[in-house]
Amino acid sequence: SVLDKLTESELFTVAVEGAIGGNAYQHSRVNQWTNNVVEQCLSQLSKLGKPFKYIVTCIIMQKNGAGLQTACSCFWDNTTDGSCTVRWENKSMYCIVSVFGLAI
Amino acid sequence: MEEYHSGDEVAFNPDEASNAVKECIEGVIGGVDYNQNKVNQWTASIVEHSLTQLVKQGKPFKYIVNCAVMQKSGAGLHTANSCYWDTTTDGSCTVRWENRTMYCVVSVFAVAVAL
Repeated sequence: SVLDKLTESELFTVAVEGAIGGNAYQHSRVNQWTNNVVEQCLSQLSKLGKPFKYIVTCIIMQKNGAGLQTACSCFWDNTTDGSCTVRWENKSMYCIVSVFGLAI
Repeated sequence: MEEYHSGDEVAFNPDEASNAVKECIEGVIGGVDYNQNKVNQWTASIVEHSLTQLVKQGKPFKYIVNCAVMQKSGAGLHTANSCYWDTTTDGSCTVRWENRTMYCVVSVFAVAVAL
């Protein structure tokens, strides 16, 4: 079965809010933040108990006018595999989380 | 063309994937400056070409290729990823590339397909 995008999207937004919501970009903490975000998302996913392998990626970028472009391409089974991307921002940074689920 | 016998497990080879990806990046953005109008095309080309090269290797994997291109302007950028899979057969590799005006980070994830 394909990932239910609506529910998962809310799940990851909550994980990001929990990990970095209310903080301003800080170089010394961003390493820990990205780790927290991916770990929280992954633990929520494994709790769902579905027969999937998961890949979670997180990008945090400081807001200073730089351009950032991301793309991804997947070679998988279109009927069973899927992905979901969540974009989050506050005054000082952007956070992009992508989750890929591949059926076992 | 390699043959796979049932019962054999093939692990992901990150070096081979890494080299294929580096060539793709060079081919698309080697020698050009960051250009907001073209960056969309560039990231799409990089992921498509990389994926094509990986699939050509003919190994029993599903692939995900992720590419980020960022203009060099002093901003901090940090990426992380976490994977829930079979560590004996699945793997990933990340290639970091830069020139005078931009950074490019490409990550490849390979998940074994049950034969």
